[in-house]
Amino acid sequence: MIEIQDLRKEYCDGDVKTVALDGVSFNINKGEFLAIIGPSGSGKSTLMHIMGFLDRPSSGVFKFENQGIEELNDDQLAFIRNNKLGFVFQFFNLLPRTTVFDNVKLPLIYTKISEEEKKKRVLDAIESVGLSHRIKHLSNQLSGGEQQRVAIARAIVNNPEVIFADEPTGNLDSKSGQQIMEILQGLNEKGHTVILVTHEQYTAEMAKRIIKLKDGQIVSDEIVKERKIAKNGLYK
Amino acid sequence: MSFKDSIKISFITLRTNKMRSVLTMLGIIIGVGSVIIMMSLGQGAQNLIIGQVASMGSNNIYIEPGSPAGSISQQVIDQQGKVSLKAKDAEAIAKDPNVESVSVMIYGNGVASYLGEDKKITFMGVDEKAMAISDLLVMSGREITEDDVSGMARVVVLGYKLGQDLFGEEDPIGKTIRIKKLSLKVVGVLEEKGGQIFQTFDDYAYIPITTTQKLLMGVDYINAILVKAKSEKVIDQVAENARLILREQHGIYNPEGDLTKDDFKVMSQVDAANMVTQITGALTAFLSSIAAIALIVGGIGIMNIMLVSVTERTKEIGLRKAVGARNKDIMNQFLIESTTLTLLGGIIGFLGGISFSFIASIIIGKLLQTSWGFAIPFGAVVLAFGVAAIVGLVFGIYPAKKAAKLNPIEALRHE
Repeated sequence: MIEIQDLRKEYCDGDVKTVALDGVSFNINKGEFLAIIGPSGSGKSTLMHIMGFLDRPSSGVFKFENQGIEELNDDQLAFIRNNKLGFVFQFFNLLPRTTVFDNVKLPLIYTKISEEEKKKRVLDAIESVGLSHRIKHLSNQLSGGEQQRVAIARAIVNNPEVIFADEPTGNLDSKSGQQIMEILQGLNEKGHTVILVTHEQYTAEMAKRIIKLKDGQIVSDEIVKERKIAKNGLYK
Repeated sequence: MSFKDSIKISFITLRTNKMRSVLTMLGIIIGVGSVIIMMSLGQGAQNLIIGQVASMGSNNIYIEPGSPAGSISQQVIDQQGKVSLKAKDAEAIAKDPNVESVSVMIYGNGVASYLGEDKKITFMGVDEKAMAISDLLVMSGREITEDDVSGMARVVVLGYKLGQDLFGEEDPIGKTIRIKKLSLKVVGVLEEKGGQIFQTFDDYAYIPITTTQKLLMGVDYINAILVKAKSEKVIDQVAENARLILREQHGIYNPEGDLTKDDFKVMSQVDAANMVTQITGALTAFLSSIAAIALIVGGIGIMNIMLVSVTERTKEIGLRKAVGARNKDIMNQFLIESTTLTLLGGIIGFLGGISFSFIASIIIGKLLQTSWGFAIPFGAVVLAFGVAAIVGLVFGIYPAKKAAKLNPIEALRHE
């Protein structure tokens, strides 16, 4: 589904040139659960941003469902982000002073489906992260774990092909982190492709495959042999 | 993104920053409010003046010396020196069968004194018909009579206020006052005429026209001819006929009726009303455009606060882009937000301006003792909301563009 060949990304800050990705190549198939791991500055976030259509590569091939990013204009990128991708961020990035319902609805206000259908999808998504009792609460009235679950509901409300999770447990206690990983594993079971960016080996081992990055290059690309399963009984 | 969603978002944002929203709107509120006040009061003044002009008799035609061409200021200068109208012109016009009566007038300034009491006044040289045409009634004593005019009598009729100023409690009838060294016997005092905007009949001294011309001023011309037509229907006919008569009298060859060639002006009350409308209209436009500066200042305030808002909400913009908002969606959202701010300010300013004008119209009515009409000009309504919306769009567009152009990653990283 995702095809990457010799991908490069350079940033220019005045005269200083920083290489974030230095010739990366790999493929991702539908239904995979991939963890990208590496120390900070290794290029993992840059890689995720390119795969998430938030940024464009300097050179190399990036194809999503056989379509190269260079063929697409900004509005088409927005359309793909809206319809095929879902994002979960380390700092949740919920709209403050806005209800759980409206936060989850956010991606849908940029689509053209009916208001009834939107409502149904939002309620379904909130239910699947176990927050139905919190629908009318404001985002800032929730705990960190709950906020991240709202963020996941927001990521899945448009039923995306791929879910990107950028350090989703990085800002949570271990129990809440476990719950989040359990939800992500559940979503993967349901057929969503999940791409996880993390710097923790432990969290990465909950994925099915791990790509290790260092200094913008792939160090290793392996299938996880003893996969860890998060279990708390929360995910329905 | 639907329009409804955008409106909802903008109201949430405005509510979140209540104080800031109100302060930002204040510029627009003051701007729209003052434009409304200017336009409403201007309209009120116009209605009042037109009403008064109409009440003075729509059958009247007013003839002045001087060419109708040129600017108003030029005409004022002209008028001082124009000597083209004579009493015999009035006699010629009076022969028109459609004319009911004709009176002549001359006016000048001087000092009136009685027992060492001096007062600057305007005196009017009138004939016996002028007072009736101008609707002036005698309170005590008598009017200027035909005999006064033909006999060049040294008599004077005082306006109500002038009588009060010179004589106080004393009865002026039979006393002698001096104007420009000429002794005149007071034969009458007029009833109080009350508040008129441009004319204060109560301050004038009325003297027979012949006395004024020969003894006071030493001239043979007159300043105005007042013609009363038999009915409103024949007024245009009378006016045109008066022009023809005057051209013949003055030896002006003007078969094509080019008014600029004439050395006189013929104005009906309708013309006078039109002129007043023009003047008040220009005045209103002038004052309104000054008030409009407040709107521009308000608009700059809007732009400023929207720029702050874009910076503050950089992360939100990044998030919206990440979940699929196009540049256009972000731009619309911020434009709708700034327009909501200005429109809300417009509504409040409109209501405030209208309330102020309403109260002002009551107070002015009481002070001037006239029926000052409260008016909401339709143009003001359109202007208030149109301008408010335009200010929102124009001053919102730069911040909105800035928001739309943000790179989603940079925006998401923003702390």
